[in-house]
Amino acid sequence: MLKNHRGWLLLATALLLQALPTGQVFAQSSDSPPPNTQSSYDQSQDPEAIKPVPVLQTSAAFQTVFDAGETHIHPLLTPVLLVPFGSRWLFEARGTFESDLAQQPGVSGFHGVVQKEEEYAQLDFIASPYMTVTVGRFLTPFGIFNERLYPVWIRNLASDPLTLPIGIGPSNASTGAMIRGGFKANKHFNINYAVYYSTLLTVSPMDSNRFAGGRAGIFIPKARLEIGGSYQHLLQDDHSNLFGFHMAWQPPKLPLNLRAETARSSVGSGYWVESVYGLTQVPFAQNQLRHTQVVARMQQFFTGPVPANSVLPVNTNMFEFGVNYYFMDGLRAMSSYGRQFAPQGNGNVWTLALTYRLVTPLGRGEVQ
Amino acid sequence: MKNRKAAFAATFTLLASSLVTAIAQDQKNTPPAPNPASSPNQQLAALAVPANSRPASTDKPSSPPEAARASGIHDNRALRLEGEKRFQANCGRCHMAPPKFPPRAMATILRHMRVRALITDEDRRLILRYMTE
Repeated sequence: MLKNHRGWLLLATALLLQALPTGQVFAQSSDSPPPNTQSSYDQSQDPEAIKPVPVLQTSAAFQTVFDAGETHIHPLLTPVLLVPFGSRWLFEARGTFESDLAQQPGVSGFHGVVQKEEEYAQLDFIASPYMTVTVGRFLTPFGIFNERLYPVWIRNLASDPLTLPIGIGPSNASTGAMIRGGFKANKHFNINYAVYYSTLLTVSPMDSNRFAGGRAGIFIPKARLEIGGSYQHLLQDDHSNLFGFHMAWQPPKLPLNLRAETARSSVGSGYWVESVYGLTQVPFAQNQLRHTQVVARMQQFFTGPVPANSVLPVNTNMFEFGVNYYFMDGLRAMSSYGRQFAPQGNGNVWTLALTYRLVTPLGRGEVQ
Repeated sequence: MKNRKAAFAATFTLLASSLVTAIAQDQKNTPPAPNPASSPNQQLAALAVPANSRPASTDKPSSPPEAARASGIHDNRALRLEGEKRFQANCGRCHMAPPKFPPRAMATILRHMRVRALITDEDRRLILRYMTE
């Protein structure tokens, strides 16, 4: 089927990862994780005395997208490396190997090239309980999707929001320095913040723009509600300002997760609203339904006065509906249907995907 | 058309093989059902009652070391419950509840999440305690 050798390689890797022994994973049917059967950890010991060990987290996905009559096969492999030093340092890096295999006119089979990206490589210094200093290449903290929801094992729909390219830079990351942190403001809410500066870098695929910005949010743990805003000032080209707002809400008594983001810039504006409902409270077929979640996302994008290749060229509305099934923690099947409404024509997008996440300690994981 | 069928077949095979693997591992790893009589809320409520207002026990009074140990157990339990609460409030903002990994790996992951998800230092400590017990 796939004549492209790299495509075969990626497919084989995805299959291999899927078949790996997963002794550390557990069913993900309840809100609480199961007891730690991996450890003989002495509970009387202070957790702060635990010496962290480097960790390799690998996530893989195999997506099949049927987009307006065209079939795309999209294998993806994303390793994340976490290396702690001492009690205050952490080096973290994430890479991506992916391919978009599609049919080409006059040629049988699916063809594509493997794209390699170093998504971020940053050094974090935890200066105080309120502040962490980060240098290197880091994910731009504009809104919440790029930083928190982008990984393939976290996102609830396979596709990116239409507004994702706004504010995050040409390669989804910044090169420079950042100060960030979170602290308890009073007994009712926490405050989190990030302030950053990125310099111009033209080395593809690690290019970045020159800009400065910040993001701040308030999290109310009792209501499980987070709201916040982002600001960025471009220090090149049209020196424009970008604004964004985000919210995330998990009603404590419902298996519901609501998230929304809006972004406004000179290249375009828009918003998305996503709801995820876990079927854990349905009174029948609990064995199956407690692993199932339904997802819906509505989004609109409006073009701005400044043309840009990173965003859609026309005003677009999109609705997506998906059903996900968790076989266990880390292994999930995703399916979704979306319809895109645009002036040049409407189209349907169907997606089937498998996502997998594996965490491997690079050393002895148990406490001696 | 042929390629599309092949793509369907590949996806279906992947889904089917994953399902078989997952069901086997799920059965192996599913934890026992929790005891409904000792829900976190009930335990918190019990802990919230001051010791001198609890009903008199017919048991013999404990000796000082036993009392100290019991107090330590209560403290640990309170911290664990608070950690579970923080865990559900913070981690659930972005992803499903992960399993517990080995303690040293968990310490690294929580350091990472402190930076990535901007959880407070207090939340990190409580979640680490909960996740390593």
